[in-house]
Amino acid sequence: MLALLVILLSCTFFPGVIVKTKALFSGRKGPGIFQPWIDIVRLLKKGSVYSTVSSYVFQTGASVYLASVLVAALFVPFDQHTALISFPGDFVMFAYLLGLGRFFLIISALDVSSGFEGMGANREAFYSMLAEPAFFILMGSLAMFTGYTSFNEIFINLHYQDYFSIIIAIIAAFVLGNLTLVETSRLPIDDPLTHLELTMVHEVMVLDHSGIDLGLIKIANNIKFVLFSTLSANCFIPQTWSLGMQIAVYLIAQAGFAVGIGYFESFRARNKMAMNAQYILSISAISMILIFVIIILNNKI
Amino acid sequence: MSLLFNTSLLLSFALFFVPKRMKYLVTLLLQVLLIVSTGTWALDALMGSEVVIVPLGISTWSGEIIMTIDKLSAFFILLLDFVCFAGVLYAGGYLRTSIAKKRDVIISLHFFSLLWLNASMVLVTAMGDGLSFLLAWELMSLTSFILVIFEGQKETTLRTGINYLLQMHLGFALIMFGFLVVKDATGEMSFQALGPYFATHSNTIVFLIFFAGFGIKAGFIPLHTWLPKAHPAAPSHVSGIMSGVMIKMGIYGILRVTSFLSADQELIGSIVLSVGIVSGLVGVILAIMQHDLKRLLAYHSVENIGIIGIGIGMSILGMANQDPALAVLGMAGALLHCVNHALFKSLLFFTTGNIYHATGTVNMDELGGLVHHARATSLAFLVGAIAISGIPPFNGFISEFLIYNGIVVNFTHATFAMSLAGLASLVSLVLIGGLCVYCFTKAFGLTFLGSRRSFHPVTYHRIPWIMIFPLVLLGLAITLIGFFPRLIVEPLAGALTAFGNLEAQSPALLSTSSALQAIGLTNLVFVVAMVVVSSLRAWQQARVVRATGPTWGCGYSAGDFRHQYTPTSYASSLLEVVEPAVVYRKDYPSIAEADIFPEKRSFRTHTSDRVEQSVVITIIDLLIKYLPMAGRAQTGYIHHYLLYPVVFMIVIVLLTHFNYI
Repeated sequence: MLALLVILLSCTFFPGVIVKTKALFSGRKGPGIFQPWIDIVRLLKKGSVYSTVSSYVFQTGASVYLASVLVAALFVPFDQHTALISFPGDFVMFAYLLGLGRFFLIISALDVSSGFEGMGANREAFYSMLAEPAFFILMGSLAMFTGYTSFNEIFINLHYQDYFSIIIAIIAAFVLGNLTLVETSRLPIDDPLTHLELTMVHEVMVLDHSGIDLGLIKIANNIKFVLFSTLSANCFIPQTWSLGMQIAVYLIAQAGFAVGIGYFESFRARNKMAMNAQYILSISAISMILIFVIIILNNKI
Repeated sequence: MSLLFNTSLLLSFALFFVPKRMKYLVTLLLQVLLIVSTGTWALDALMGSEVVIVPLGISTWSGEIIMTIDKLSAFFILLLDFVCFAGVLYAGGYLRTSIAKKRDVIISLHFFSLLWLNASMVLVTAMGDGLSFLLAWELMSLTSFILVIFEGQKETTLRTGINYLLQMHLGFALIMFGFLVVKDATGEMSFQALGPYFATHSNTIVFLIFFAGFGIKAGFIPLHTWLPKAHPAAPSHVSGIMSGVMIKMGIYGILRVTSFLSADQELIGSIVLSVGIVSGLVGVILAIMQHDLKRLLAYHSVENIGIIGIGIGMSILGMANQDPALAVLGMAGALLHCVNHALFKSLLFFTTGNIYHATGTVNMDELGGLVHHARATSLAFLVGAIAISGIPPFNGFISEFLIYNGIVVNFTHATFAMSLAGLASLVSLVLIGGLCVYCFTKAFGLTFLGSRRSFHPVTYHRIPWIMIFPLVLLGLAITLIGFFPRLIVEPLAGALTAFGNLEAQSPALLSTSSALQAIGLTNLVFVVAMVVVSSLRAWQQARVVRATGPTWGCGYSAGDFRHQYTPTSYASSLLEVVEPAVVYRKDYPSIAEADIFPEKRSFRTHTSDRVEQSVVITIIDLLIKYLPMAGRAQTGYIHHYLLYPVVFMIVIVLLTHFNYI
């Protein structure tokens, strides 16, 4: 329960911090921290326009996307504090639940008979397919290192087994950080602020979503963002500290992560579209390195 | 029960004599008899502790034919009875127009074969004796051949059918050869004799002979070439039954042989695993490239057989490394995937039949927007698509989870070699899952969503309820396994008792049943979340203005259906990455510089299977080149022809004399 609460708490400021950071770096004052949520609330109050060709798939797509991300949020622990749902191999279900949401987002994009949205759907399907191995190799290697197979037990046992766990935590956090960027369609894979549909991935998929559906998708994206950043924060927060300290450190780490993304996005150009596949595969390659490091550490060779 | 079984089979000959419109009802009735009798035996075997033995009262020269149904057989019998029943139900709607048009005897033969295919598959799973097994196996191939060539007036269908028949006989020959090797060494021709044989001889070679023989039926790459040809040619209910359960008979055979292995498991496991990985990946990649929905589904069978192969391979490796958890979970995952694949693949093939019924085509290049004309069918397809992609809350996820779990549990204590095997299967399972999503968003999205990709007007035919009802039946089974996965654990643990060395280890499976319960609960939580979110959305929608309008064309207002993605363009981003597996050809005369007023020209893309091109076609080309040499023996002189048997007999006498045979 605690895990869910801190996740929801950091959801409130996470997107705002990124926007604010980017504004500051480009020399603007920028909107307030909570502006993204205010925008979402406004969307939730608005009416919607539906394409004449769309069907029930389009009507349910956004809801399924949000529901799947919400359920996936129940799987993520906060440090040693248990997640609501935990069982051996739960990370497989976590990843596949996100897959369910993605499946519906893709087919609702195909539902409106638009070439642009088809393009976004196609890219989303392709990139997520390439990114998925990185997450599984990472979790597999952490399972190999700790000897456990659920999120909870992995994170409890990851800390301070010896000094190597710090190296492993750093690589894991790096992989998770990169995965966050792919999963939530940020730079350098996709630029959420781009103005040209031909270069979009996620944004072009939701072109025809309006009103509450767009709001639901945005909520889900914000939660998804925090889920991944919580996973990487879990690699670091010491378990011996008091609960208050842990939450404080966690929130600071989240804010830091958001600032980092804002900084990164201010100074990094997006990839050429054709380079994306290579970029995403390199994340899997890095997690592959991790698993071989662990094989060597465990004296298996 | 034996009486019921025999009666239904004997009465099946009456199909040729009843009036045309009664044939379907008689078939259905006889099939119910068949299912009741075989299902009772299977349930007895699965619930009880003893093997059910049924003498059929028929004798061959190798003794009386006896059905021995153990828990593994029972597991497969229940599965195939269910899918065959759904298939025959579906046939009632699908064949309605054909029954009116076609000749009496063709319809009789079709229903007769449908019934006997079901019976022969039951016999295949229940025969322990080699000879009667081979007879049942042959019966299965012949009946399915007749079913495939239902549209035999088309030349391509007939050609495909003959190709299928030939490949099945190649498999038959290999299986028979395997049995003969065993008989030569042990004096007995049965599965039981494999035990003593494997205990004293090299395991690998005989296993590989059986693996190749059964692999042709199952569709492992590179033995898969009949699948993408036969399925589009066959009627949809036949494709559903064949892809759903008949190819599983190949898996059954492999499992049966595997259960007797006693040495070389490391090598055998690695071979099965590698074949599984290649089949899974290449199968799904080729599926993505297809335009024809039924070919797409056929390649998905190859992919799913690959997943089953990964499960079996990891399980054999687990047995070799004394890792009971991996051995049990891998095998349980493979077995459950047999069930799951049978359910969702037959569902998908039946929906394809509905699409064909409604529009007259299954070519995705001409489809689109079908959701507005066939709502129930689209829902059924969606359920099947989610299930086959291995996504919760449906059944496909459960079996993949078992295999994943086995691999990850093994990771926690694996040796170096096992870590590599686990890593390879983990990565390929994940990639297969991702590619499956890619493929089924394409299949569902381009067929049912958007707008129709053709200028030619079409009249949509209404889909009668009898073509929807079997889909509901299968969809319910899919949902049931997805939400209550623990129900299936007990029968699975039972089926695993066929593997002597796994018997004691089924606790490993039962211990994951708590995880399975958690998965079922999570699925329910998802449904609750879905209900909450959508009712909030409905509440909001009732209070705001809902408008409809044309799709936003990004400023371009003259767009029409031609702007949509096509099967080819949806697959094109993947094509660059998977070049090694696919041969891609584009037929398009390019426009020369001097062509100021280009003529009308057409554009056509074609992808084909590189494995087939480079392995199968090459071999066939070699055969075509060198086999005519044998023709020289055909001289046309009767003297020569008389000489050949004389030479043959002399050789035999000499060989016997010197004790070579």
